[in-house]
Amino acid sequence: MTNELELIRIRNAAKHYQLEKAEVPALVDVNLAIGQGERVCLMGPSGSGKSTLLNIIGCIDSLTAGSIEIDGRQAHTLSDAQLSEFRNRTMGFVFQTFNLIPVLSVFENVEYPLLLQRTTSAERRERVDELLERVGLKDLRRRSPERLSGGQRQRVAIARALVTRPRLVIADEPTAALDHETGRSIMQLMVELNRSAGSTLIFATHDPAVSRYAGRLITMSDGRIVEDREVA
Amino acid sequence: MKVLVMAWRSILRHARRTTATVSALVVGLTGMVVFQGFLGQMMRDFRDGTILSGIGHLQVAARDQYFVDGEFNPFSYGLKDSEALSTALERQPGVQAVFPSTGFVAVAGLGDQSATLLVKAYPPERMYFAPPAGTVKAPVDRFNLGTLTEGSSVSPGVRNSLVLGETAARVLGARVGDVVTLMAILPGGNLEGRDFTISGIFSSPGRDKSFAYTDYATASDFIRMPSPPVLIAIASDIGAVEGIADSLPRGLSFRTWRDLAQLFVQVSTIMASFLGVIRAIILLVTLFILANSMSRMVLERMKEWGTLRALGTRKRDILFVILSEGCLQGLLGAVLGIAFGFLVSAVIDVAGGLPYHNGAQAYAIMVRPGLDSIWLNLVPSVATAGLAALLPGLRAIRFSPSECLREA
Repeated sequence: MTNELELIRIRNAAKHYQLEKAEVPALVDVNLAIGQGERVCLMGPSGSGKSTLLNIIGCIDSLTAGSIEIDGRQAHTLSDAQLSEFRNRTMGFVFQTFNLIPVLSVFENVEYPLLLQRTTSAERRERVDELLERVGLKDLRRRSPERLSGGQRQRVAIARALVTRPRLVIADEPTAALDHETGRSIMQLMVELNRSAGSTLIFATHDPAVSRYAGRLITMSDGRIVEDREVA
Repeated sequence: MKVLVMAWRSILRHARRTTATVSALVVGLTGMVVFQGFLGQMMRDFRDGTILSGIGHLQVAARDQYFVDGEFNPFSYGLKDSEALSTALERQPGVQAVFPSTGFVAVAGLGDQSATLLVKAYPPERMYFAPPAGTVKAPVDRFNLGTLTEGSSVSPGVRNSLVLGETAARVLGARVGDVVTLMAILPGGNLEGRDFTISGIFSSPGRDKSFAYTDYATASDFIRMPSPPVLIAIASDIGAVEGIADSLPRGLSFRTWRDLAQLFVQVSTIMASFLGVIRAIILLVTLFILANSMSRMVLERMKEWGTLRALGTRKRDILFVILSEGCLQGLLGAVLGIAFGFLVSAVIDVAGGLPYHNGAQAYAIMVRPGLDSIWLNLVPSVATAGLAALLPGLRAIRFSPSECLREA
């Protein structure tokens, strides 16, 4: 599947993990193209390769074979420092367990990616406040993440993922640690913010109810893409 | 700046582990500072005691050879214009006292007994013998020549009196008030004899077997040497000695206390090495404890490193965070350890110091760590803590972000 405004192109991708002396395949011959603005859901059972594919797309892991091009750049040609900057400017991450920095306040957590970009203090304040307002946590900006509920923490994580205005947002099981109702509101928020920003959203989930927030559904099994279809 | 804030908050967040790690450093450094203060004060006392045992801060002679063989054979070393030189020296900043000294070898006879004596002579007002019992603080402008076991020192204005070492007195069978005859060979082979009244008997380890003291005027008259072979200066401040030496007229020879107090210099060097070894042991233990603690911390926080990397933090910045945490713990431990060290030292001081007896005199040694204790302990502690954090930090950045997140 291709798109005129292609953001991601994966060719013949393979990823193997070394488990003691055995080589475990996590991705096998994956070919994929994802366009700008798409909302893609990766589905499949545990161990099917969803998280590995997300890690590869997020440039936090590397391929054993094949290539990945994101926003016109071949990931394997970039140095570690260049990859760090690329991730910071191009991508936002939402994790299953929120992964907020415990020693930073809500405001500071959201502000952190902007600090890496050396954004001015005034602009940081403006953008962080705007996003916290949109995720409904402006009043809790000084609070430690440890004093927030799961849903609130994931909202902070979403604000952090979007604060740099990335072209790509990657969410690995964003609702898995939340109750059904909170998960639903989190997905609604992510989709709404994704729509207004025009960014690409790729998320992995086990939950069929969550997959309905996607415009495209990719099903994986044993490291392979077994189904790739548009959904209404 | 944010990195340091994060590091500091992380230290506070893991309070229990931080306390355990920092405690090791605090205990070690407290002990180190107190020991350093004790040893430092003991060495300062030893130095001042050595200087005031007859060396002085500075000795000025006509020729270098005096310092080789002239102390008890002064006849060819008379200083010209010694009074003018003495007056000029007294005017120098930091000079507390300047006075002449001489010495000679004599055979002492009392009845059928005789003994060879090394007689040293100073002005009576520059000689001090401690009382036989109790803790003493010797005056700082006089030579502390030993402890009186009987009688008194040489009195000003009283000629031909002698303070005799107790072992020599035992050999001669002499008591206070006895008159001994001293015979000395003068230049040209002339034998000179004179009767001396024993005003006191002193004890001093290593000296009371052969030493005796008399006043300078009597000695210079006895050996017929009107000019002193040496002038001795006592300084009010040890730091002024080099300046005083620099002010001396050309053509004269001098020795500072450092040149003359060879034993002190040797002991001081040994003690400095000893302190260095103890400090190295403390730092090695700290290195081990901190490296252990940092390793556990790094492993426990893999998710945090993975997240920071995913957000775009570079490897070197992660390493900087970990090193900062190590260094801050080192700094915290060092500041607290040094502060406690100074506090404990002050308490010991207020309590009157630590009792010490050198075999002849009793002292109270104060525990006074110098200001150099601060940087001597602070800098290596912080550096050691940074070193302890380096290996775990390098291990943390070796993993890819996804490995960090997976390890968590």
